[in-house]
Amino acid sequence: MSVNPASIEDYVCDVSKPDDFGMFWSEIMCLAADIPLNIEMILDPLRSSDGIDTYQVFYDSLDGVRVSSWYCVPKGKKGKLPALVFLPGYQMDPPIPKEWARRGFATLAVAPRGKLRSMGQFNPGYPNLLTTNITDKNTYSYRGFYVDTWRTIDVLLAQDEVDCKNIGVLGSSQGGGLAITTAAMRKEIKAASSGAPYLCGFMDAIKLEDTYPYEEINDYLRVHPEHYDLVRDTLSYFDGINFAEEIACPIIMNIGLQDNVCPPETGYAVFNSIGSKDKELFVYEGHGHEAGRYLQTKVICEFFDKHLKNDEIDV
Amino acid sequence: MNTIKPVGFQEYWQATLRNLAKYPTAPEIRPLPLRSTPYAECFSVKITSAGPYRLFAYLSIPKGEGNFPAIYYPPQYKSVLEIIPQGSSNYLRSRYVVMSLAGRGQRNSDQPYSAMFPGQFTENIGDLDNYVFRNIVADGIRGLEFLFARPEVDRKRIAVVGNDVALMTTALLDGSPYVICTPSLFVDSISRSGKSNSYPMEEINDYLNLFPSKKNSVEETLSYFDLRWFAPMVTGKTLIMAGPRGTLLDAEALGDVASEFAGDYTIYESVNSSYKDGLYSENWLSEAFGFGNSILPAHWV
Repeated sequence: MSVNPASIEDYVCDVSKPDDFGMFWSEIMCLAADIPLNIEMILDPLRSSDGIDTYQVFYDSLDGVRVSSWYCVPKGKKGKLPALVFLPGYQMDPPIPKEWARRGFATLAVAPRGKLRSMGQFNPGYPNLLTTNITDKNTYSYRGFYVDTWRTIDVLLAQDEVDCKNIGVLGSSQGGGLAITTAAMRKEIKAASSGAPYLCGFMDAIKLEDTYPYEEINDYLRVHPEHYDLVRDTLSYFDGINFAEEIACPIIMNIGLQDNVCPPETGYAVFNSIGSKDKELFVYEGHGHEAGRYLQTKVICEFFDKHLKNDEIDV
Repeated sequence: MNTIKPVGFQEYWQATLRNLAKYPTAPEIRPLPLRSTPYAECFSVKITSAGPYRLFAYLSIPKGEGNFPAIYYPPQYKSVLEIIPQGSSNYLRSRYVVMSLAGRGQRNSDQPYSAMFPGQFTENIGDLDNYVFRNIVADGIRGLEFLFARPEVDRKRIAVVGNDVALMTTALLDGSPYVICTPSLFVDSISRSGKSNSYPMEEINDYLNLFPSKKNSVEETLSYFDLRWFAPMVTGKTLIMAGPRGTLLDAEALGDVASEFAGDYTIYESVNSSYKDGLYSENWLSEAFGFGNSILPAHWV
């Protein structure tokens, strides 16, 4: 397959939005709202450095799952701090986000359920997360996983040092997909950056590529071909494309035209679905799943500086 | 390159091998129908390593008549174990026996010891004898021994692919004809950590910030793991995947390691594109194994 950007920039994924999509997620959000966060913050001297305090943070989420995260705060800053949520890739161990703290952002890097340090009550493993309970939208793995990421905003809002009007989200691959869903569901978010978004156009992706992690769905359907319609229906509730029109904040996205994990066709499709008028797509020819990271990093830094840093604050 | 080769290097690693040899592999192999395809059977494997410690691996064998060339992925520095690396065409499994091993502490090999990432790099790093990576290297060797013994495998066409442990495994277990190594942790580590504040090297900085009195012992431990001292024992054909120019592990920085190889080697310097870097690596391996074409993911063709 040779990808010509002109031929795929209007690519339309084979996903339809269920009539009860909004109701489905509203009910889940109501359920989640009734669950106290029970935030626990533990200063970690080993992971703190000159200029940065690092905390292990834990909070409650759906189904009684305790979620962990790393929180890095620049020391000695006056006034409220702009804040970021870093959303992890599928196989990534959530990082300690010191580099963003060095740039002046209070930054939370979440480990949603099933990730290392958040797997005490839910641990489907890798591979497996993508297809766990995939025939039932009400118990599908990403139902709780998504909520875990959305509740990071509540955790930040509860921090005295955070400027609640200047919160952003970012991530790449699965983190890019989660940036889409989180920006759509949490209106407190002022700016979002999504790289090589995963979890968008699932049913197209499994036909466009032959690589893991999407290949997990093909594995499942090979054993259970009779479940194809159920799988498609479940995933339609979790597809980033169906969330994207709700995004109202400024957002940037980067994709690689030779992305062998998250097909660029699906990247275009989700970008075209984003509701915000303030959106920009960076397309990298000759790049794979890293989606031009070495160039895009500077773009992302400038983007968040522009949208989240208030000149009156000493950052 | 500041590291000095420790006098006890050979004995340290010979003792590691002797300790590993005390424990039979005791393999347990079970079919994994969910991960099998029309062109490859997949199995879960359990084997015993030093400790004794029980490890998990995925083993995929092409359908049809063997012997087959093989790709072995020894433990990497992350919690997740993959059947084949993310982004590799699954059809690679139609051509190659593929084995990926979870070292102790990684998922599926995390009973009774579950590692943290970041964290594992500095676990017991102040104690040379008990530094966690000593046995992780043993794990890598045990996996390769298991693969060597498989009747489906063409022993003349085995490639060990991964990071530092890939090179160490190849060096310590003679007979691996090919290795593709992307160095990460163990090249001039102390000096490099002083120039970096990114993980995983930041783990060393974190550790020494909290335990400054342990600097000498950390330095001593890391000197036993420096890839430069393993390189002369690598007799096969080697591809070193260096970082982009100007980074701490670019081709120039790895030159001291590469110049010590006993066998042929190539250093490839990343061009900041996972597509171009990956394409080079896939083509190198296909050519080394005598195939006229590479099996590539759809968006690379």
